[in-house]
Amino acid sequence: MNLRGGWELIKRSYLGWLAGRGFYWTLTFGWMVPSLLYLFVWATVAGQGQVQGFNRDGFIVYYLCFIMLNQFTYPVCNWTVGDSIRFGRFSTWLLHPMPPMFEVIATDIAMKVVCTPFATLVTMMLLIFLHPALPFSLWSCLYFLPALLLAQILRFLMAYTLALLALWNSRADALLALNDTLIFLLAGEVAPVALLPGWLGILAMVLPFRSMLGFPVEVLTGRLSTVEIWQGFALQSAWVLAVILLYRLVWHQGLRHYASVGG
Amino acid sequence: MTESHIHVRQLSKTYHVPEREEGLLAAMQSLAHRRFKDIIAVDNVSFNIKQGEMVGFIGPNGAGKTTTMKMLAGLLYPTTGEVRVENYVPWERKTQYLRTISMIMANKNRLNWENTAIDSFRVLAAIFRISRADFQSMLEELVELLEIEELLPKLVRNLSLGERMKCELAGALLHRPRVLFLDEPTLGLDVTMQLRLRRFLAEYNRRTGATMILTSHYMADVTALCSRVILIDHGKLLYDGELAGLAERMAPFKLIRLTVDDSREQNASEIERTLLNASFPVTIIDQVDRGFSLRVEKGHAAAILTHVLGELPVVDISVEDPPIEAVIDQVYREGVYL
Amino acid sequence: MLYYLRLIGLFLRASIQEEMAFRLNFVVNILGTILSLTTGILGIAILFHVVTTIQGWTFPETLTLLAIYQLITALQNLVIEPSMNSLGGIDGDAWTGRFDYTLQAPVSTQFLVSFRKWRLWSFIDVSLSLILLCIALTLVGKHIGLLQLALFVFNLCVSLLIVYTIFLLLSSASLWQQGIPLTWIFNSVMQLGRYPVGIYPGALRLLLTWVVPVAFITTIPVEVLTRQASPLVLVAGAAIALGLLALASFCFRMSLRHYTSASS
Repeated sequence: MNLRGGWELIKRSYLGWLAGRGFYWTLTFGWMVPSLLYLFVWATVAGQGQVQGFNRDGFIVYYLCFIMLNQFTYPVCNWTVGDSIRFGRFSTWLLHPMPPMFEVIATDIAMKVVCTPFATLVTMMLLIFLHPALPFSLWSCLYFLPALLLAQILRFLMAYTLALLALWNSRADALLALNDTLIFLLAGEVAPVALLPGWLGILAMVLPFRSMLGFPVEVLTGRLSTVEIWQGFALQSAWVLAVILLYRLVWHQGLRHYASVGG
Repeated sequence: MTESHIHVRQLSKTYHVPEREEGLLAAMQSLAHRRFKDIIAVDNVSFNIKQGEMVGFIGPNGAGKTTTMKMLAGLLYPTTGEVRVENYVPWERKTQYLRTISMIMANKNRLNWENTAIDSFRVLAAIFRISRADFQSMLEELVELLEIEELLPKLVRNLSLGERMKCELAGALLHRPRVLFLDEPTLGLDVTMQLRLRRFLAEYNRRTGATMILTSHYMADVTALCSRVILIDHGKLLYDGELAGLAERMAPFKLIRLTVDDSREQNASEIERTLLNASFPVTIIDQVDRGFSLRVEKGHAAAILTHVLGELPVVDISVEDPPIEAVIDQVYREGVYL
Repeated sequence: MLYYLRLIGLFLRASIQEEMAFRLNFVVNILGTILSLTTGILGIAILFHVVTTIQGWTFPETLTLLAIYQLITALQNLVIEPSMNSLGGIDGDAWTGRFDYTLQAPVSTQFLVSFRKWRLWSFIDVSLSLILLCIALTLVGKHIGLLQLALFVFNLCVSLLIVYTIFLLLSSASLWQQGIPLTWIFNSVMQLGRYPVGIYPGALRLLLTWVVPVAFITTIPVEVLTRQASPLVLVAGAAIALGLLALASFCFRMSLRHYTSASS
């Protein structure tokens, strides 16, 4: 484990990202807007009357947590990996005595360190401005931590695996757009998963997207019973395992293809 | 009094740039508190250029050559000073002025990447309001001079660097500008290409009488094209006149190259000692086997020659002026002490 | 003037030629638009599965709002955004240093920067949005008179003018502060126009009406079609558009001055 190399990587990425902080704060803002939009939509709706156990404050807290969690787990490797493969940087990474994943993780951490303060600031301002009742309890916070960890691993690996498809075909970013759309619909952004109607709701419960975003938020805001929380953990773990297997497959096959075509 | 085509008086330009020290802590400090520095790019520069002259701007990197040129082209506002080109004030950027000049910059593309060269030319022709007849005749001339006939229908992004440069040049001259500003036009081109470009520029100057200002790090460009050079260093104009005069003033040296007969039993260090033992200072700048290159002051050349020929079995000898590149290189490295 | 029209024609032709080089873009673009429309519609559908009105807006009315939002976005993507991004966006003049060449051209820089790049595929997006609009209006069921239609088209033009001026302002700013894709910020804020502006609390609603007039861009044209829009509002919209135009042109000229004294 080359820790020193890793640290230098993070520092280098961080300085680079810091220089472009205006750019990345703009990106952060862009990611926040859809969640903000639905925060206000649902808050208005709930103002006309409770919706299936969510009142106005419930929605506000849900979405503010969603924004922070989305920011925290957002997989920047969506673009950086595809770009690096297209423009040849990936070949350089393959020559380093460190697995390329380190580079990707370093960039990820750097981006988060630069962008999270901005997101936190905006969230805090909204919290003060809208002053909802806060439903956090000790237990909800404790259960939240493993849920967060599993969610981040799942989201990162999923995005990284999809991004690695660029090793075959540089147009793989269409799949990433699809991934983002599915997250939007099924991870709890358009509406908390509990509110999704009929078969859509069932689909959302089963697919990995809720495990990436909606589930940890629901845990934190105390909306789930202990049984439901443990069921959620089980589902998260199962999906993490599945994605790890998929990742290994894509990585080995992809590398073989990339090397044979002359990356 | 001849009307100068380009008239520059006391031109100055100062930049206000943010700066930051290295390291993580300083980076975070700069988030909250930005610091600025004043940089003087051009300092009180004055000169006059006549119609049809070809002038070279020379000087080390960052000396202020490009900044000066951009002010003449109207791309930058000066801090103080006065400029007149063809009786226009460049930074007013009057339409008529812009149709009279052209600036060519290295590594910056004017043509559309994703379009064919000829299509880009047509758009330029429309923008510069070139009549159909003028466009046709100028295009023919440029195609013939630059030999770009087969390149016209190709996509610009598929052209090699040299081909692209030729097309960029054509695009820049379609409107028959009377003043040309060339910023490192031969950068990155191979030797053949550089030669052809030089010939083209000389020919264009001959045919149209256009005034040209050229900056280049390849002294061959300057020596081939420019009778007059302006030396700028640290924003100041240090020399304005003929290139030969610059060498004369900068490096009043002569180079003596000699080869010593090796049939005699003298080793290299003995020969060296003899050489350095002359009544005037001698610098040995190169030595290969029995061949030596010496640098001596012009006035002392004759005396040193006599000493060397008297003391050593010289087989071959020649006396030369130092190459202009060496002179300029010395200027760039050590600065100018005029 | 004929000269300017001729130039626009040439720019359009050049953009078409550039886009034609990438046939795959055509497919990707259609898929992208369909994806975007579908998620928009699904979002509203999920919402209205739970309630019947939002602040008095019914499902068909909200659908109309979405259609108009998409229509304006598609028209914006036709020429305003591609041209302005060729100045201030990623790979734009300001970032790559090509602006020096743009400044060299003997045409008004504002004109060049506003019209020089077109995105043809947006015509398809426009068509799809219009189809959605017709469907939504049919669901609304009200009769739309000729006067209302005329007012709607007028309002659409006002909306586009407002969008143009905002882009011009942001592009001017990008000449000062390079590196921040400011037009992205605007696009993000525009997203807030997908739903009726009334859902936002007081201060935010005022912001979105008078500062970044998203309300005038999307909500008002819908109100013209489906409800009674007071003539005062229409006049206010036009006034804002013209005011912004003057402001934006002024700022652009100032930015040019600043750029030409600061770049090296």
